[in-house]
Amino acid sequence: MSGAAGTGARRGPPGWVSLVPLLVLWEAVGRADVALFIPPLSRVAVTWWKLAGDGTLWKAMSTSLVALVQGFGLALLVGIPLGTAMGRLRAVQYVCDPYVNVLTSAPLSALVPILIALFGVKDTVVMATVFLFAVSVIVVNCMAGVKGVDRSILEMARVFGATPLQFFAKILLPAALPAILVGAHLGAMQAVKGMVVGEMLVSLVGLGERLVYYGNTFLILHLYAVILTVVVLALLAAQLVHLADRALIRWK
Amino acid sequence: MTAAPAAAPEALEIRVEGVSKVFGAVQALEGVSLTIEAGEFVTFIGPSGCGKTTLLKMIAGLIRPDAGRILIGGRPVEGPGHDRSLVFQDHALMPWTSILRNVAFGLELRGVPKAERQAAARRYIAKVKLTGFEQHYPHQLSGGMQQRAGLARALAVNPRILLMDEPFASVDEQTRRLFQDDLLAVWGEERRTVVFVTHSMEEAVYLSDRVFLISPRPGRLVEVLEVPLPRPRADHGVRGDPGFTRLVERVWDTLKKLQ
Amino acid sequence: MSETIGVPGRRGRSKGRLVQGVEPAAVALRLGSVAALLAAWEWAGRSKASFAIPTFTQTALAGVDLLGSRPFWEALGTSGQSLAMGMAGAVAVGIPLGLLMGTLPTLGRYLRVYFELMIAIPTAAVIPLVILTMGITVRSSALIVFLFSAPFITMNAYAGVRDVNPRLAEMARAFAATPRQFFVKIVVPSSLPMLLVGLRYGLSRAFVGLVVAELLLSPFGVGKLIMNASSMFQYDRLFAAVGLTIMAALALLAALQRLEGRLLHWRRP
Repeated sequence: MSGAAGTGARRGPPGWVSLVPLLVLWEAVGRADVALFIPPLSRVAVTWWKLAGDGTLWKAMSTSLVALVQGFGLALLVGIPLGTAMGRLRAVQYVCDPYVNVLTSAPLSALVPILIALFGVKDTVVMATVFLFAVSVIVVNCMAGVKGVDRSILEMARVFGATPLQFFAKILLPAALPAILVGAHLGAMQAVKGMVVGEMLVSLVGLGERLVYYGNTFLILHLYAVILTVVVLALLAAQLVHLADRALIRWK
Repeated sequence: MTAAPAAAPEALEIRVEGVSKVFGAVQALEGVSLTIEAGEFVTFIGPSGCGKTTLLKMIAGLIRPDAGRILIGGRPVEGPGHDRSLVFQDHALMPWTSILRNVAFGLELRGVPKAERQAAARRYIAKVKLTGFEQHYPHQLSGGMQQRAGLARALAVNPRILLMDEPFASVDEQTRRLFQDDLLAVWGEERRTVVFVTHSMEEAVYLSDRVFLISPRPGRLVEVLEVPLPRPRADHGVRGDPGFTRLVERVWDTLKKLQ
Repeated sequence: MSETIGVPGRRGRSKGRLVQGVEPAAVALRLGSVAALLAAWEWAGRSKASFAIPTFTQTALAGVDLLGSRPFWEALGTSGQSLAMGMAGAVAVGIPLGLLMGTLPTLGRYLRVYFELMIAIPTAAVIPLVILTMGITVRSSALIVFLFSAPFITMNAYAGVRDVNPRLAEMARAFAATPRQFFVKIVVPSSLPMLLVGLRYGLSRAFVGLVVAELLLSPFGVGKLIMNASSMFQYDRLFAAVGLTIMAALALLAALQRLEGRLLHWRRP
């Protein structure tokens, strides 16, 4: 698991090793029966296995993943061009800036009831929530990446007579790629959060729905199991983008 | 004013004895021994990576030698101290406070009361010709002015030894010449010991009484050059003096072999 | 303010070059876009496309109505209470902890994994657990606010300490600063920008958590207002309540940003 920033101290054991004491502690505290809401990790694991076995987990996860992929994909499709445009064209930036700022700082979860009112209690709302959560981060990073490209390189491209297509494909995009990928990484994390929030509030399908359901029905072990699934999903998403990052950027 | 100048009574002598330092696989310094007289103005010069800055920082007390020792006024160096002051290549001014408070910083750390230290700071700001900029923030000043503020800060604590790490490296040639003369003027008033690190051969010869040439990897003292040119250097038109040019070429001859 | 480098465009005309004198046009564009959006909204509301969309005027009127009603201000107060408690806790715990982590590198390296984890995962997933354990109270809301904001505040304080300019650190050492002097005169001013950013970001995350919690918890706070309006199909009230909530959040964040600007007045513009 790499941190959001990517680099931890390189010497010594890998970062996640420090989680092991936590897991051990959890098991111990759980067994000691300190509190109702801290069950031993082993019992959570057993419940998780059960849920995985009877298909509840997979059904919920597949619905979640569909919404996640669709929403995130759309966010990339919209966000990257928009961010690029904002980075290149002062006018576009000036016009879109206030909206992007609002999207970045406002509590987007407040918009979900409105989305429900508009689309009804459907999974489209979840997709829309994922989109909203992810898009602003992608736009901001993309814009920063494009703006941050070394002026000299751009001038060089013009001097050597690059066509518009060559300019974008061979100079601008590769130079801005690291920042774009950072945006994608952060966007993926935000997308997962949006997915959970959306599903919890719509409470129809998906992992988020399961969270609310088990919470309401006091099934603590099941609740923990789903929470852990969500956590693992989030981390996997991060790791996936990290791998894409490595694959695309060899010169880093 | 061409008589041999007397060192300030508080100036200190520096003795480097058999100092060595290794960084990873690199022998930054090996068995370097030298003596700097009280009140002398000397320069360390050499190719990149030759350990001259390392040696300077050792004198400052920021780095410990692996072998050998450094004595200042007869006493071994244990760490940074009130008798020494350092001027950095990139000014190292605190961006969040005014020039006045930056210059007074060394005094503030030593517990000098506010009125006194600000008065002292103003004096040195005047010496480096930055009067009027006391309330400005570092980013509002040009690179050259920031360097001057750094010098004022180093002088304000009244050090016996002034250590300077390529302070004029990032300044353009014309400004550099003016700075050199300004520095010599300020130094001339009080004659502390000065150790100056530079890449520039002209600068080394123009400023110093002696020039120490250091080789890279391993860092060794290769040659010591006397600079018997008259002071004040500016008044005597030293730059046009054939003696000056010969000395510069002497330095270059040695450095050439080290590249 | 240099102009953007034009893309070699058709007929040699550069796209994207904004000459000084065109600034007023950009302002007009911005205002125009807002006007266009409002107009589109108004039209959407009037059209029978969806009965769920109130017009802008209806929303504005409902908003005014809300602002005059007691339940709104009570709800704001309750939510504000949770927010204040949670943030106070996050600051009281996060900043010292982050500073400590920065000062003791081994501790920092060990703990940072936990905080990076907390930042990466969807914290909202934990909300049902908190409700289950602590019930539906202001305290549970406050805890949720804490959980959403504390990791960011901590990690930013940590980063602030770690990112102290090594040059400045060396300078202070050269002037023989004591560890205490070093911390107070170099580390703290140096890390202040990061701290404030962490605070701002923590606050925006706190709002997200608070809103989700209250929408789920329902009995009180602005969430209650929103859910009530939603369940009673009072769409104008719904839109207004959501709008006011968002505006309140943005206002608070803007205030924090202004505070940041004043504290960091020494930054280059």
